Parts: sequence; structure tokens; C-alpha cells
Amino acid sequence: MDYLIFSVSLMLVYIGLAQLLHIQFGLAGIPNFGVVGFWGIGLYGTGVLYVKAGVPLLPAMAMASLLATALAYVLARLVLQRNGQAILAATLAFATIVSTLVVSEKDLTGGVQGLGTIRFPFSDLEQRNLIFMIMLLIVVCALIWISAKLRDSRLGRQLVAIRDNEELAASLGKNTAATKRWVFAITCGLMGLLGGMSAPLHQFLVPYQLSPSLTFAVWIALVLGGKGHNLGAIVGVFVTFGLFDILIETYAPVPAEQAILLPNFKLFCYGVLLVMIIMFRPLGILGVDKPKVRSSTTTPPRELSNASVEKG
Amino acid sequence: MFDADNIRSGYGEITVLKDISFSVNNEIFAVLGANGSGKTTLLKTLARLLPLQSGKLELQGNDVSTAAPYQMPAAGVAYVPQEGNVFADLSVMENLSIGGRTGNKSKSEKLDEVFALFPRLKERLSQSAGSLSGGEGQMLAVGRALMQEPSVLLLDEPSAGLSPLFVDTLFSSIAETRRERGVAIVLAEQNAVKTLEIADRVMVLSLGEMHLLRKRSELSMSDITEAYHI
Repeated sequence: MDYLIFSVSLMLVYIGLAQLLHIQFGLAGIPNFGVVGFWGIGLYGTGVLYVKAGVPLLPAMAMASLLATALAYVLARLVLQRNGQAILAATLAFATIVSTLVVSEKDLTGGVQGLGTIRFPFSDLEQRNLIFMIMLLIVVCALIWISAKLRDSRLGRQLVAIRDNEELAASLGKNTAATKRWVFAITCGLMGLLGGMSAPLHQFLVPYQLSPSLTFAVWIALVLGGKGHNLGAIVGVFVTFGLFDILIETYAPVPAEQAILLPNFKLFCYGVLLVMIIMFRPLGILGVDKPKVRSSTTTPPRELSNASVEKG
Repeated sequence: MFDADNIRSGYGEITVLKDISFSVNNEIFAVLGANGSGKTTLLKTLARLLPLQSGKLELQGNDVSTAAPYQMPAAGVAYVPQEGNVFADLSVMENLSIGGRTGNKSKSEKLDEVFALFPRLKERLSQSAGSLSGGEGQMLAVGRALMQEPSVLLLDEPSAGLSPLFVDTLFSSIAETRRERGVAIVLAEQNAVKTLEIADRVMVLSLGEMHLLRKRSELSMSDITEAYHI
């Protein structure tokens, strides 16, 4: 039961990260390949504040999230107005720097020996891990709701406009650079919050947890589900993490000697799924958010009733 | 309106416009020239999408030489680029709304005016802009610019790629916009014949330099032909 709660909690973290990546990439077109870096700032920030400085867990999470926001803002100022490849490389480099610092700054982070123990809040309660999972569920549901509402909001339309044609959006009076910076910083800060909330799940923090595989897993989930649809991120996480990490790894009757192959088999399946999606359903399982319906003509146009308006 | 004093502009290290000076008054100011003459660069510079390498640009007496592009709509400038002039993933209504946050009129008032000029847009409101035909896309781009209630409208080759019949309609709409709204229009075009029908003054660019600047009445087709051959 405890393992199931742990797995579902971890899946919720992945869903939350995928939602935030949907906002960054699906709506605003910012290719963040440093998801694990911002999540890691939250994870280790919370861990260090809690273990080393004795800050209570919930304030530690909030402070670590603010730190991730601030660092993301600085990174955004440096790279966000460059092209997609530069942003991709810079965010990936950021995640690598975070991971390297965690290993090298042993006094603060414990280095490869790890940092712990981070206990669940509400330690007096017997069902504290379940309560924490519900807390996580509330946070992730809020992120899903925000992500769903965002597309049809003024800010959401602005983000889509910036993604489609930044120069045109700027010529319409939108401060595109500032909008992108703040959206990136806030969403990265929320990634940090999810990192902070992952700290009591792991209880003991080790640098291995900051491997790029988390970033890739979230990206794969987003691409599989459909980057243009906020529910695509959820479907993608269910198809990848839910199917393999929970259902197969926990419940499939795999003999012990073959179980060691499961992680590799999982990556193989991810690859096959990704190739099939890209070949047969490039917009993901759920496709795009809005159907492109051509409405019927109801009244004759004033001047163009007989005119061709097609390209000449 | 616009006062350009020896403006030099281009892309990075490359200079395209070379020390051009002109003023745009309350008129249709046409910019003619062959491919590569610098028409698009000029309009992007006026919209502040390209930085000035040197010179000075004033809008209604205010120095806008270092203004950011997002500040220009509030200053009264609307820009319609030649290509990629609609947001493909937004609906027609969303495209119109995103440009309509300046000016004094209410949104519905502005929409009514745009629909009066381009009735077809009203029938396509929920349709994504990416699925519009070339002509409809051009209407949407001009309509969205008018939603800004501009005092200066920058139009970059609006007739490019459109059928001749629609070009007639579009140019009528441009002239009507000038006449009824009193909007100054800077019109960059290759279609010299159509442009001369509605322009008040004409500037001809050649290889980034101003070849001539005259009132339409003082201009003959041979002047333009000569400029195109330089």
C-alpha cells in the first residue's frame, strides 16, 4: 500500500511537471530541456533548508520554489530571446550545472553520500503519506485547471501568438520578451515546488535523482499525449509512467531473474511508442486543443460575392 | 506623422537602407521598388522591428529612434507584414481581439467597423486563421490592424500572391480606410499600376537608396520603370 501511494504520488509529480511543460512549450513555445534542474533546485533546496537549516518543511518548499523562480528568471533574461536551439542547450546546461553542484558541494548537499532524512509533514498522523499524496493531488489538480483555463485566457492567447509569430505579436503591442520571461520563471518556480514536494517522498536525496531521464520522461509524456492539448500531458504520463512504473513493475508477474531487464525494456517501449506516434499521429494521442471547423457561409459578402479571394 | 532623418537600417552588420530622409503626412505614402530594394526593411524599421544603425526617426514630433516595437501601437502605429501576418493557431475572432487594446472605441464598435469593411470575416469568426485563404488572411491582417485605431498604417505588399480581382477590392478598402478614417498609410508595393491609382506621394527605392520622391501627379510611369531598372 505504501509503495502504491509512493508510486501514485510520483506519477502526480510527473503529471504536474508535464502540465507546466505544456504551458512552457505547448503554449509559449519555450523548449525547456532543464526540467530536472528546476525540479532539482526545489528538491535539494527543500532538503538543505530542512536538514541543514532546520526550516520547517512547508516553508522550506516555498523558499526553494522561490529560488527556482529567481534562477529561472535570470536564465530567461540571458537566453530566452535567442533561438530555440540555444534555449534548449542553455536549459540542458543549467540542469547539468545543478546536478554537478549537488555532487561537488558536499558540505551543503551531502554529495554522493546523500542528504536526509526528510520526513513527511503532519508526522503525528498515522496516514501522513496518504494525506501528503492528497496535498500533492490538490496542487496538481490546480495546475491542470490553470493549464486548461490558460489557453482561452488573454494571457494564453498572447502566449500562442508569441509562439506562432513573436515579431508580429510585438508589433501588436505585446511585450513578448517580458511575457516569456515571467511565464518561464513562474512555471519553473512551480517545477521547483513539485521538486520540494518530492523531497519527503524520496526522504533521502542523492544526486542520481537529478539525472536527465526525468526531463526526457516528461518530454516523452508530453509528445505522446499531445503538446497542443493540456490533457495530453496527463494521458502521456499514464501511458508511460503509469503503465510501466506502476502497473507492470508492481503488478506484472515477471520472474525475478527477468525483472532486472524491465528498465531497459521500458526505455525500448518508450522509443517504439515515440516513433509510432511521430509517424502516425504527429500531434500526439489527443492532438490539438481546438478543432479547426470551417463555419458555414450565412450571408453574402459585401464586395466579394463574385470575387475569388484565393491566392492568385 | 513620421519624420525620417538620414535613417540607416538593416540586419545585424548588413546595411540595407542607406541614409534615407522623408516625411509621411496624413496621406497614402507609397513605397515602390523591385525585389530587394529595401521596402520591407523600411516598413520594419518604421514599426521599430529593426534597430536604426544611424539617423533619427520621429513620430508626431516624438523621437522613436530607440522605441521598442511593442510601444508603437500605443503611439498609433499598426503594421501589417507581407508574410505570416496572422496567428495561424488562433481563431479569426482571437486574431482580431489580440490587436484591439488601443484606442478609445469599444471592442464591439471596432469589430462592427471591421466587419463593414470586410464582411467575410464575420462569417469566419470561429475558424482558425491558419485555414483561411490568402485573401481572407490579408483581410484579417488589415482588419486586426484597424482594430488598433491607428493614426499610421504600415502595409507591406498587401497584394502579394492575391488574384487580380481581389487586389482591386483590397486597394478599394485601403483607399476607403484613408478616406473615411483619416489614417495615414505607408504602402509598400510592387504593383505600381494599382498603387498609383490611390497614392498621394510616391517614393521609389532602389538597392536601399531613395531614387525619387514625388507627388503622384508629378510622376510618370517611365520614371518608375527607370527606377526599377537601376
